[in-house]
Amino acid sequence: MTTSKILRDTLIIAWIKSFPDFRRNPMMLVLLAMISAIPLFFMMMFNGGGNMIVHGLVGAMVSSVAFAGVNSGIQDISWDRYVKIREMIVAMPVHPASYALGIALAPLLVSIPSLILFGAITAYLGFFTLEALGWIVLALILVWAATSSMGFMISTYLYKSSPMLLNNFANLLGIGFIFIPPVYFSEAQLGSLSWLSLIVPTSNAAGIMRSYMGLLPFSTEFLIIRWAVLIIMTVAFVVLTSVKSKWREN
Amino acid sequence: MEVGAVKSVNLRKVYRGKEMVEALKGVSIDVGKGELFTLLGPNGAGKTTFLRIISTQLLPSGGDAEVLGHSVVSEAKEVRKHIAVVPQDVATYNNFTPWEYAYYFARLRGIASPAAKRKAEEALKTVDLWDLRNRTCQTLSGGEKRRAIIASVLSSDADVLMLDEPTSGLDAVARRGVWSALRELVGKGKTILLTTHMMEEAEMVSDRLAIVNKGSVVACGRPEEIKELVKERFRVVINGDFKQLSSYGETARLGDRNIVYLKTQDEVIDLLKTSLKMNLRAEASPVTLEDVFVKLVGGLNNHDNK
Repeated sequence: MTTSKILRDTLIIAWIKSFPDFRRNPMMLVLLAMISAIPLFFMMMFNGGGNMIVHGLVGAMVSSVAFAGVNSGIQDISWDRYVKIREMIVAMPVHPASYALGIALAPLLVSIPSLILFGAITAYLGFFTLEALGWIVLALILVWAATSSMGFMISTYLYKSSPMLLNNFANLLGIGFIFIPPVYFSEAQLGSLSWLSLIVPTSNAAGIMRSYMGLLPFSTEFLIIRWAVLIIMTVAFVVLTSVKSKWREN
Repeated sequence: MEVGAVKSVNLRKVYRGKEMVEALKGVSIDVGKGELFTLLGPNGAGKTTFLRIISTQLLPSGGDAEVLGHSVVSEAKEVRKHIAVVPQDVATYNNFTPWEYAYYFARLRGIASPAAKRKAEEALKTVDLWDLRNRTCQTLSGGEKRRAIIASVLSSDADVLMLDEPTSGLDAVARRGVWSALRELVGKGKTILLTTHMMEEAEMVSDRLAIVNKGSVVACGRPEEIKELVKERFRVVINGDFKQLSSYGETARLGDRNIVYLKTQDEVIDLLKTSLKMNLRAEASPVTLEDVFVKLVGGLNNHDNK
């Protein structure tokens, strides 16, 4: 199977799994943006000082892609198996990578309007330089890849679970990866425990983004370490998922 | 020698879980090109397992099978180029339209956009959904949704179509719509492998069929040939209590009705006359595929209270 066919199929699957939904229910885009923006309202209500809101906007951007990632794996086992579209695709000349990437890409496409909105507000506030844009996008892509692979890996263990359990699990993962670690707030607030943000991909990426936006004063060496940890974790999750997952049942 | 469309040799499948279940016990089947072949069997007979192995979704525990000469075990990628599958109890995406099903599934098979549009149009016209092509599935009836899914495999232009109980849950009119579409495809040279537990469906659409029970093939052939596997040619259904029925032949009791299986027309006439004398309503007809099926899978005795 050629690379172009794999890429084309990835885009078709991503399109199938996103476009008809948001074309016919555009309100879902607003709702998704609101989920990521909820913590910002609390920040404005209870604090509002300094750069807190910008830290929150970074969190909202990371949250938009991380929710997309975590939910993609869950969606595969809960929804695709229910409608049996997966069985139809397995019996087609489609590469497993196209399916996995397409499934992971679909919620990301839906998140793009939220990302643009949060990015635009950050830029309006003067924290988004063109120079930093490339690094920020790269960090977001890595978070998406890491959380998507994590979602798929979890789905391989929860193969026979009920949709209700899976939804609860997805919500729990969302809280665990997005709301508890320093994603919406600065890791500086953790004091001597700030190193903890390094081991969670979402807070690590948020820290990297804040560094490029001038919100956290990281040394070049420390920034390199953070990139290395983020890349290694992402690759590790991708490898583990590809080893554990099965395209064909036995 | 010409390569058949689907061939299985001693295909076995054992599910190993808390308890071991032998779903297929050495199934050997040969389906010719351009044939509509049906696997007919009760629930749990192994039909879906067979179809899932043939469609490369599941690995067998033993034996092998080929689709157009390619092994489903070692040449799955090659097999997938030639097949399209409708799984059992398949549901639809509510926000999808029949057009999106037919068009995007054709695109996933590597068909270029203009050709995919043409094939989607042909497929939707074949299943009589062209006028509803832009309505979302949530506004369609059960039969229309099923036909939208079938359109998605028709547009693929695959040589071998595999459909697992495609008409279950559909009303008679919708069912006939699907049958008509399937026969039309066979007319165009497609090979269709179908599973069903509905006798009427098997008899109406199949060129040949195999009766599967408890993981084994118990009979295989054309519907007429299958009916000849039992020695009785006729059935008489009698309403009411008839004490000495078993002396006429094999009987099955369905509540207040008795079915008697007879070999000759003379026996039928004799029994009808006796029934009339006893003022009992009786109807005679040739044995049906269902009669033969029930007899072959051993269900007759379950209803036989003689």
